[in-house]
Amino acid sequence: MSANTPAEAAPGPSSNEPNPRGSETRGSIPVVDGAKLVRERRLNNAKKNWALFRSDVPALIGAVVLLFFIVIAIAAPLIAPASMLDVTKQLDVPRYAPPSLDHPLGTDDLGRELWVRILWGARVSILVGVAATVMSMIIGTIMGLAAGHFTGLFGGVIMRIVDFFIVLPSLLLAIVLSSVLERGVFTIVVAIGLTSWASTARIVRSQTLSVESRLYIERARILGAGHSHILFRHLLPAVMPLVLANTTLTVGGAIIAESTLSFLGLGDTSKESWGTILKNSMDVSAATSGYWWYVLTPGVAILLVVLAFTMVGRAFEAIINPALRSR
Amino acid sequence: MTDLQFENVSITYRSSSDRGDVVAVEDVSLDLPAGATLGIAGESGSGKSTLIMSALRLLPKSARLDGRVLLGGQDIRELSFGQIRAVRWAQASIVFQGALHSLNPVREVGQQIIEALEHHSKGTWTTPQKRRDRMFELLAEVNLEASKSSAYPHELSGGQKQRIMIAMALACEPDIIIADEPTTALDVIVQKQILSGLARLVAERGISLLMISHDLAVLSAVCAKLAIMRHGRLVEYGPSDEVCLSPQEDYTKQLAGAFPQIGDPESRLNPRTLKPAEVVRAEPFTMTDEVVLEAKDLSVSFDTRRGRERAVRGVDLQLRKAEILAVVGQSGSGKTTLARSLLGLQEVEAGSQLSFAGKALPKKAKELRAFRQKVQMILQDPAGSLNPKRSVYEAVVEGLKVQGIKDREYERVIGALEAAELTPAEDYLESIPQELSGGQRQRVVIAGALALDPQVLIADEPVASLDASVRGEILSLFLALKKNFGMSALIITHDLGLAWNIADTVAVMKRGEIVEYGEVDRVLSDPQHEYTQELLAAVPRLGSQSLVRNE
Repeated sequence: MSANTPAEAAPGPSSNEPNPRGSETRGSIPVVDGAKLVRERRLNNAKKNWALFRSDVPALIGAVVLLFFIVIAIAAPLIAPASMLDVTKQLDVPRYAPPSLDHPLGTDDLGRELWVRILWGARVSILVGVAATVMSMIIGTIMGLAAGHFTGLFGGVIMRIVDFFIVLPSLLLAIVLSSVLERGVFTIVVAIGLTSWASTARIVRSQTLSVESRLYIERARILGAGHSHILFRHLLPAVMPLVLANTTLTVGGAIIAESTLSFLGLGDTSKESWGTILKNSMDVSAATSGYWWYVLTPGVAILLVVLAFTMVGRAFEAIINPALRSR
Repeated sequence: MTDLQFENVSITYRSSSDRGDVVAVEDVSLDLPAGATLGIAGESGSGKSTLIMSALRLLPKSARLDGRVLLGGQDIRELSFGQIRAVRWAQASIVFQGALHSLNPVREVGQQIIEALEHHSKGTWTTPQKRRDRMFELLAEVNLEASKSSAYPHELSGGQKQRIMIAMALACEPDIIIADEPTTALDVIVQKQILSGLARLVAERGISLLMISHDLAVLSAVCAKLAIMRHGRLVEYGPSDEVCLSPQEDYTKQLAGAFPQIGDPESRLNPRTLKPAEVVRAEPFTMTDEVVLEAKDLSVSFDTRRGRERAVRGVDLQLRKAEILAVVGQSGSGKTTLARSLLGLQEVEAGSQLSFAGKALPKKAKELRAFRQKVQMILQDPAGSLNPKRSVYEAVVEGLKVQGIKDREYERVIGALEAAELTPAEDYLESIPQELSGGQRQRVVIAGALALDPQVLIADEPVASLDASVRGEILSLFLALKKNFGMSALIITHDLGLAWNIADTVAVMKRGEIVEYGEVDRVLSDPQHEYTQELLAAVPRLGSQSLVRNE
């Protein structure tokens, strides 16, 4: 930051000076905030990437689907009051009613409307999916960066820890964790987050290793840079796009994992989730008794959200890696 | 015997990007009669590679060829796919640019030579045994031992790999060999071996040779005729000696002058360039007696599979204020290791003494950081030294951020860019490396070092990956930095001409040891050590086809 003149000493983000380059004269160095130039360039890059994203039809469809589910999840209490899930208040509703105008997605074995259950289930399913993914990405990125950047004993130990988590059967570990820990949404998040970060760490590590060998890292060292500068200024920005693309792809997996755990009866039984609906449907053998809507509705909801995340994730990947675009 | 003729050849790359169609070659006519040698010189982007690829119809689909390419009197566009396959390798073969990466890393090199024979057996090498014999014959022809046939590419040196590539090109007894920058990545001694090998084959077998390079001296050492290309057009064409020694066009003069003749007083401390860097001081700095960086008995070892190897052995060096010292040697002589240890980037053996301004090199991270502000290094490849995602401004300011220098950041960046002669500096601030040319990138890297106001610059092959015309600009920049700011520089190179151009002193390194060390004028004009003499003799000279006639 250059603060030689009073005018520049109070930098405002919405400074209304014209293009800083326009006012300068050759010979005398104008007072310009260098950091601002950098910010402007980044903003332009973001705009360019957004334009690329917008031109990708599947990604847009995916984004719309996602937005739809997120909105209904947030607005669930407004659309369908919690009382609609109360079994004691559904006594006059027919059980196992097939989809019709009165019951758009049909009803379940206790007379609850399936669309209401899907609505409320979306809250837990998407929340768990996103939270578990964020947790797994944070752990995976930190471990991967550390394993790639630090050599010697420290890096070796970290890599063995990663290997340990890779060979553990993750579903089994998740089952153990969720039965040992207290029941609840948070437990499921931890169980999924702790078991799915290892593959991210692997990807991040290999990317870190390849960036680490570039000359500009050596140049940063020559300039006098220490570990923190290299890690946060060069390595993290280089792996971040990869991590982001991986995130959207992992969310789908986490939602499925949540459904699996709930389906196995390890979720929070007091909360609706798509996996819980599937489990209920299995408990009453809905699939074999002809109540197809009971099985299909939560299944399709899971499919749609996972597919939407994948489509968005693929678009992100293509933006990061232009070579993928024509495939 | 086969002639190769280019008749009014134009080649256009169709492109759907913003650049539209790109004309790579425009109206070029050249003639290569059987048994002749022709060199095409030009800088990157001059279309020389595109032109020779058209001779074997190896251009990508997006290229459109106008005019005629005649091979043995036949238009290559009229040949069927089967016919062109027969022509490739059997009549004309190519030694590719970057041959070091053209070999399959997981197959023995002997097998790879045999592969070429299997595809073009021509009824001669019909049985595996005959093909094996032929392979050994070829290895002998390029001066490689038969035992090398079972080596994998990574077990061979750059020069050996290049010879394998030449053996492959010779495999089917072609009439024409096309060599695309065959010696670019090699040092002078290996270059001389490869070139004289090619020259001998041409002379003995009556093979015609079409060679392209950016280095006029290399071409003139082997080829009888020379063509100069620029922006896809033929600039000058004629007998080698004439083009080199009495060039008509300005561009040819510039190319010819880019690589200096050692011993020529005109180019001593005066790299030839159209854009010389400005010397602003009325009394420019000259070499002083004040020692800034000193190494005594410096040794460095590495652990390798074959045990501990000493890369640098007992080196004594002194770098004085405002001195430019060139460290010259072949690849693998330990030059880069030496530079890295002077910066404290490389662990040295006990007993080695390194000192900066009279004090021993610090060991602690914090002091080492302060030391690096004083001594900066410029790496070999400017393209790789810049983070592709960060702008010029960010690249130059990085050192200031790292060193915690906060005041007058913008002025320092502009000042450094202007000192590196990237003007007007403001226009470049937001460019990212891919928008810059090689020379501009190198200037950004240099500016990044200059922003810290260092006293010593260490440069590792600063011009090796740059075009001839840019080379002069960068070298004159080093000279100007010394004259304007009294900066000391240690320049690592395999190029003796560079030392002649800008250095005050030169140290010749061989296998980790300094074999000769002294003033440039003395060492290069009157070399004492036989290795220095060998290096000097290997430098190709303009004109004279020195290598062909010596053989």
